[in-house]
Amino acid sequence: MLQKPESGALPILRAEGEKDGGRDGETQALAASQEAASPLLQETPGEHLGARREEGPAEPALAPRGARTLAAKASARRRAYRRLDRTVAELVQFLLVKDKKKSPITRSEMVKYVIGDQKDLSPEIIARAAEHLRHVFGFELKQLGRKQHTYILINKLKPLEEEEEEEDLGGGGPRLGLLIMILGLIYMKGNSARETQVWEMLRRLGVRPSKYHFLFGYPKRLIMEDFVQQRYLSYRQVPHSNPPECEFSWGPRSNLEISKMKVLGFVAKLHKKEPQHWPVQYREALADEADRARAKARAEASMRARARGA
Amino acid sequence: MEEGRAERRRRTEAPSHMQGGTRRAGVMTDVHRRFLQLLMTHGVLEEWDVRRLQKHCYRVHDRTAAVEELEDFINNINSVLESLYIEIKKGATEDDGRPVYALVNLATTSVSKMASDFAENELDLFRKALELIIDSETGFASSTNILNLVDQLKGKKMRKKEAEQVLQKFVQNKWLIEKEGEFTLHSRAILEMEQYIRETYPDAVKICNICHSLLIQGQSCETCGIRMHLPCVAKYFQSNSEPRCPHCNDYWPHEIPEVFDPEKEREASTSKANRKSLRSRQH
Repeated sequence: MLQKPESGALPILRAEGEKDGGRDGETQALAASQEAASPLLQETPGEHLGARREEGPAEPALAPRGARTLAAKASARRRAYRRLDRTVAELVQFLLVKDKKKSPITRSEMVKYVIGDQKDLSPEIIARAAEHLRHVFGFELKQLGRKQHTYILINKLKPLEEEEEEEDLGGGGPRLGLLIMILGLIYMKGNSARETQVWEMLRRLGVRPSKYHFLFGYPKRLIMEDFVQQRYLSYRQVPHSNPPECEFSWGPRSNLEISKMKVLGFVAKLHKKEPQHWPVQYREALADEADRARAKARAEASMRARARGA
Repeated sequence: MEEGRAERRRRTEAPSHMQGGTRRAGVMTDVHRRFLQLLMTHGVLEEWDVRRLQKHCYRVHDRTAAVEELEDFINNINSVLESLYIEIKKGATEDDGRPVYALVNLATTSVSKMASDFAENELDLFRKALELIIDSETGFASSTNILNLVDQLKGKKMRKKEAEQVLQKFVQNKWLIEKEGEFTLHSRAILEMEQYIRETYPDAVKICNICHSLLIQGQSCETCGIRMHLPCVAKYFQSNSEPRCPHCNDYWPHEIPEVFDPEKEREASTSKANRKSLRSRQH
């Protein structure tokens, strides 16, 4: 097995633990990357960052001192590019690791744990990381809400058909099933369901909030913390409720990752009926499908327009 | 405008530093992307699983294309991954030499992938277990010895009973293997952390005399002390009736294992595969 030699002090990337209970996350321990010559580093051609860097016009006849200064500048520029590349790579890894937990990532976390003192270049670093995620992994770095600077990764690969999914070698199954049951309940109840209704449904399935379940772990924690934190569910107090009650609705990630029609289809199958059996929900799902198709067409048209423009 | 155009180009094509250059960069299609996503989900996969995965990705995204030879397929992806300082690395299980693959970090030296799944005290428990494993003669650390270190852990206080559960979590997530109450590193941990281990424990670390990679389990020469992985021993002494130490030429005192044969493996694997996929669904 070939060993790829690496230089001494290397950046140690550690994603911090989440804020809940016993998890005291390890915070960053990023050392600045050493730029000892590494076989891994590619020479990044100048035009790569050309749009942003000031490239002076080519100087014709160079006096020796001029040539040295130019060479020094060029090598400093190369170091800066390499450092930037490194940071972008670390950000990609950071985002992938964070996304595995499905927790949204804030811009300030990215700066705190990865970008550090290259903060001024944050937009470029984030944009390049997003491009790598799209091109290499098929993930889209999506901003949740315009002001919030909070991001999640969306899988842009086409969703699998049922038979294909079997082959996928599993992973995450039961929890997702539980989520879809809850999303179904919420949808059928008119897009929000009281917390008591959710627990009642689960109780009928033999799932109790604080009793350890062999498939779901601790359901209360899974639903109230994990699903809410991962933005699959939204949880809020019902205004003007007395005694105060709380309700669930679909979270922004659910809206992005699954559709009303799919969830209705799941509920229908569960009851051995057709989706049309519930005319109100069916109409709503159709309208939702139409909206999605329109949004998709708009996005594709603008992509094509941009490609033409280039 | 110059700037706008460069930005637009970046959005629709691969980033320009990935194209051309001295190395021919591979082409990424959804086949490759799906493959990477699934490999990441599983952490580590055996070769037969990887081949199945590859075929699955072609079936889903590009039925008409011919399935590329696995080695080329992976090399192509790796040439694209290079600018991200990660690669699909091939290794072998230390006990019987089955080829395994994992997506590993090239530039970092940490337990970073674990950091998202475990709390601070759990990561410290892993580090303690890791140290015991590396220092041991056999490559195994006993459960008792690991649990005795529970008081020294950073972070929230952990009881021994809890620590036992955490060790099981490590096994489930393929960071440790358990055999009869003793723990060693899973091939996933070896692939992902080899660099970290070599740099963090340069004096304690053991290296295989044949392949020069990190060695946790293996055989050693009783005369001169050099060590070899079991699969490396198998290959080196294959059909050699008088095995001798490559370093000091003394008689090699251990039983020579068989070389791993994927063909024999496939015959047994159909029943194994069913059992395996059931297991992987249970988490």
